Amino acid sequence: MAPPAGLRAVPAAWTFMAAGAVAIGAYFLLPAHGDAQSVFYVVIGFGSVAAIYLGTRLHLPPGERRAWYLFALGLLCQVAGDAIFAVYELHLNREPPNPSVADIFYLGGYPILAAGIFLVLRRLGGQTSRAAILDSIVIFAGVVLFQWVFFIEPYRHMAFGGESQRLVAMGTPVMDVLLLVGLAQLLLGPGGRTIAYRLLLVSIGLWIVADELYGLHVSSYQGGDWIDALWLGSYVVWAGAALHPSMARLALPDRRRLPRLTTARLSLLATAFLLGPSILVFEKVRGHAEQIYAIAPLSAFIGLVILLRLSGLVRAVERARRSERVARREAEQAQQLLSYQNEQLVEIDTLKDEFVSSVSHELRTPLTSITGYVELLLEDEPSEEKRGYLSIVDRNAHRLLGLVADLLFTARLQEGRLELERAEVDLTELVQHAVDSARPRAESSSVELVVEAENVPPLLGEQVRLAQLLDNLVSNAIKFTPAGGRVTVRLTAGDGLARIEVSDTGIGIPDDERERLFQRFFRSQTALERQIQGTGLGLYISKAIVEAHGGRIGVQSHEAEGTTFVVDLPTIR
Amino acid sequence: MTDRPLILCADDDEDILSLVALRLERAGYEVMRAVDGEAAIAAARERRPALAILDVMMPKQTGYEVLVELRKDPSLRDLKVILLSARVQESDVERGMEAGADAYLAKPFKAPELVATVEDLLGPAEPSPPG
Repeated sequence: MAPPAGLRAVPAAWTFMAAGAVAIGAYFLLPAHGDAQSVFYVVIGFGSVAAIYLGTRLHLPPGERRAWYLFALGLLCQVAGDAIFAVYELHLNREPPNPSVADIFYLGGYPILAAGIFLVLRRLGGQTSRAAILDSIVIFAGVVLFQWVFFIEPYRHMAFGGESQRLVAMGTPVMDVLLLVGLAQLLLGPGGRTIAYRLLLVSIGLWIVADELYGLHVSSYQGGDWIDALWLGSYVVWAGAALHPSMARLALPDRRRLPRLTTARLSLLATAFLLGPSILVFEKVRGHAEQIYAIAPLSAFIGLVILLRLSGLVRAVERARRSERVARREAEQAQQLLSYQNEQLVEIDTLKDEFVSSVSHELRTPLTSITGYVELLLEDEPSEEKRGYLSIVDRNAHRLLGLVADLLFTARLQEGRLELERAEVDLTELVQHAVDSARPRAESSSVELVVEAENVPPLLGEQVRLAQLLDNLVSNAIKFTPAGGRVTVRLTAGDGLARIEVSDTGIGIPDDERERLFQRFFRSQTALERQIQGTGLGLYISKAIVEAHGGRIGVQSHEAEGTTFVVDLPTIR
Repeated sequence: MTDRPLILCADDDEDILSLVALRLERAGYEVMRAVDGEAAIAAARERRPALAILDVMMPKQTGYEVLVELRKDPSLRDLKVILLSARVQESDVERGMEAGADAYLAKPFKAPELVATVEDLLGPAEPSPPG
């Protein structure tokens, strides 16, 4: 029969620990010091070891099981020691000799457990920096001091059957040094804790407490003592940790290179630092002989290591401050350089401005004479042929003037100095005017010029600039349309917009040139190949004029099919 | 002496000076010439023309300076001044008008434009005597 869904949902770890608690309770209900109790003790221990083994296989991939197998093995050694005791009691009705083979298993289990803890710590990472190693040394020295004074040294003064018995008795607190150091390191371990991690801490802690209590009551301890509850509890909780799914990832990753000075770490360091003096006072109060030769050197050693640790911190702070100073100095220098360069740029800009305006002046002055005298000659010249020649001179002089004007305008655009003198502008009239004045050029190039102008609402803008825009677009279209082609200028009203479309049936614009079309001095490849005159400023200026009016200019083109420039300008209504 | 209005033309470019003078003479005005700022001021004080057409970029004194100087002279209160310059940026025009010019013409100019501006300020010249 399948268990009800609610029960099935209880995770194995909690189920096992609940069962373990019941079993521990049952252990104390059995007759004290009886055979059944000894067997039951071994059963709980072995059951836990089996659970650790199963949990490991369940939750970890083959490559990552080593630490937990070591836990299982270390605890199995303890169970084996207990089993040997049980065998002696059940079959021989006496305690094993002291020391016995059971002690080998008991003591041998500790390094294996410690190795497991070490593997877990290594997996968590964060233990290899100088600071972390110094902290470990401090903790190790503190634990040694503590264990020595309270748990190891007292055995020196106790009566034992022989030195070997004394040594075996000292073995457990010595081995507990390993577990204590491991526990402290786990407490300081980086990253967020999982449930399995906490359970592991609890089980190791229970084991150590049991060992220490046993050490304090070694003379009065008997099997079935309440201290057994702690060892049994450690077995069960250790198994609970192994059965909990979070054991697959004991801690959330923390990739900090330096260990954080957490409260836990600081308190551990402080405890180690204060340990020696406190023990001295404590022992003095208790009336024990102060173990000055153990306490003084170990305290001094701990103090020195903590000093080293502090010097490391101070150095790190100084390093950080130094690099901050360097960074700040560099930033200041960069800023100075930047403002210097900025000043220079402003200066260069002013120079350029003056240069452009004086070049413009110098070009316009001779052009004034040329156009003025040609105008005079044209009035007086009776010969049609010569008047034709003079018109050519006049036209080219005006082309030159247009170029000078464009350059001057571009220079001003570069300075961001396009200020419009706005007034109401009638676009319909302006378009008609632009088309009319372009018509002679269209006719001489045999290009048909069509205008389809709706009445559009007026817009607020500068008439001269808008005329310049229209002239640029229409002239361009005529220039790039071969004889026999057609240029259409369309004006339509949209939603708060006037749309001007200038289409030609010309050579079109290749895709790769479209983006650069509105850049300063850009000339299309076709324009260069076919020697179509121009400066590459017309569209740049057009775009600037459109944008100054709050409008948009775009282009639609297919190579060899013609081009349409589309301008949208906001109208008043 | 004729009673045709007298116009002072000042320009350091003699070709342009001749062109302007020719256009004005053809329109029936009497013209006197100066080739720099100082000469222009001297000529204006001496002969008190009805109108001065001043180039801006002239040696010794610029057109602006000449204009300011002439405007300070109470005896030339009625003098009209046109600045004629190849400096065509709005800032140049504004500066000229602020200094007290009556008109600002850009070079190159069209003859009808020049004559129309002058006639606006002075009224049409008497037709030149035949011959």
